[in-house]
Amino acid sequence: MQRMFAWALTIIATVGVLGSCTKDPLKNLSEDESRIYITNRDSTVNFSSYKTYSIADSVLVIDNGRVVGKQSNPWDAQMINALQNAMNARGYVRVNRTQNPDLGLNVSRIFNTSTNLVNLSDYWNSYGGYYDPYYWGYGGYDYYYPPVYGYYQSTEAAFSVDLLDLKDASSAQTIKVIWNGLIRGEGIFNNSNVQSQAQALFDQSPYLKTNQ
Amino acid sequence: MKNSKIFFSLIAFLFSAFIVKAQKGENTFNISYSAAFPMGSFKNTVSSNSFRGFNASVLHGISDKVSVGLATGFQDFYQKYPRQLYKLSDGSDLSAVLTYSIQTIPVLAQVKYNFTPGGTVQPYAAIGAGANIVSYTQLYGEFGDKQAKIGFAAKPELGLQIPLGKGGAGFSIGAAYNIMPFKQDELKNLNNIGVEAGFIIPMRR
Repeated sequence: MQRMFAWALTIIATVGVLGSCTKDPLKNLSEDESRIYITNRDSTVNFSSYKTYSIADSVLVIDNGRVVGKQSNPWDAQMINALQNAMNARGYVRVNRTQNPDLGLNVSRIFNTSTNLVNLSDYWNSYGGYYDPYYWGYGGYDYYYPPVYGYYQSTEAAFSVDLLDLKDASSAQTIKVIWNGLIRGEGIFNNSNVQSQAQALFDQSPYLKTNQ
Repeated sequence: MKNSKIFFSLIAFLFSAFIVKAQKGENTFNISYSAAFPMGSFKNTVSSNSFRGFNASVLHGISDKVSVGLATGFQDFYQKYPRQLYKLSDGSDLSAVLTYSIQTIPVLAQVKYNFTPGGTVQPYAAIGAGANIVSYTQLYGEFGDKQAKIGFAAKPELGLQIPLGKGGAGFSIGAAYNIMPFKQDELKNLNNIGVEAGFIIPMRR
C-alpha cells in the first residue's frame, strides 16, 4: 500500500514538474505584442467624397458601458493631435465644428473591469448615449452603427476612435459611424505609444483618404 | 469513424491478451523525457519543435517478449507569429501577433514487443491507441480563448532498451509517430514525431 502511495506521489510530482514547463503564451507577449488593432468601415462609403473634419476636443471615458465623463489629460491631447496629423496626412482638412465639417471624430477610452466576453455591438448599440449628438449640431438625432462587429475577450482598457458622417446626417436623419478604430491590450495609455498607435490604425486603413 | 474502429479493435485485442495470458510477470514503470517535431499539415501552423514533454507508462509483462499496459504523456507546442494584418469574417481588419499554445495528453492502451529479451541491448516495437486530451489556445494579441477537446491518438514506436543488471531496471530510447487527428481553425491534425529517452523502473510487490 505504501509502495503504491509512493508510486502515485512520484507520478503526480513528475507530471507537476514537467507540466509546469508549459510555455505560457501570455507571459511570452510584450506589451506591444499584446495589443490588437481592429478597424472597421462601412463598405458602401466612398471616403474620398469627404473633405473636411472636426475632432472632439476631449476624450470620452466609458467605464463598463457607461460614460463617466470627458477628459483632456496630456495623453488625450497627444492622441487627438496624433489623429489630427493622420487625418491631415490623408488629405482631410480640419475645420471648426461650427463650420459644417463633413466628418466628425469621436475619441473614447473604454474601461471594463470584468473579464467576461464583451460583445462590441453592445457598445455600438448604446452609442447614442455616449457623445451627445448635439455636440455635432444634430441635437435629437440618433447615432447609427452597422450591426455585429464581433466580440473579444475584454481586459481592463481599450481605446476607440469613431469617424462620423456629418455631411449626410441631415438627409439621413442620423449620424452614421462610417469607420471605427479600436485598440485593446496592454500599455495603451502610455504616452510613448500614442503616435505609433494612431499611425497603426491609419496604416491598416489605406482607403481612408480624400482627393483635395 | 475508421479511426474509432481501429481503436476499439486494439482495445479488444489488448484486453483479450490480458484475460487469456495474464499470469505472473513483471510490472514496469517507464518514464521518459520527450521532444516532438510537428509533421505534415500541423507543421504549416506550428513549425516550432517542442522540447517540453514527457511520457510515462505502466506495463505488465505477459511473456518474456510481450508486455501490455497503459501509457500517457504530455507535450507542449507553442508558436508565435509576428504582427500581421488579418481579415476577419465580419469584414474588419485585425492587426495582431498570433500565438498558438497546444498541449496534448494522450491516454493509450499499449502493447510492447521486446525482440531480444535478455540481450545487452534490446530493440523493441510498441503500439498504443486511445484518447487524446488536447488543450488548445489561439490568441490574437492577448485575446482569445482556451478550449479542451478529446480526440483519438495512436502511437507506433520503435526503440532500444538497455538493462542495468538483472533487476529489470534500465534505460530506454525510442522514436514514435504520434497520430493525432484534430480539427480546429486551420488545423486538421497534431501529428508529430516524438523522440524520447528515459528509465525503466521495476515495480515489485
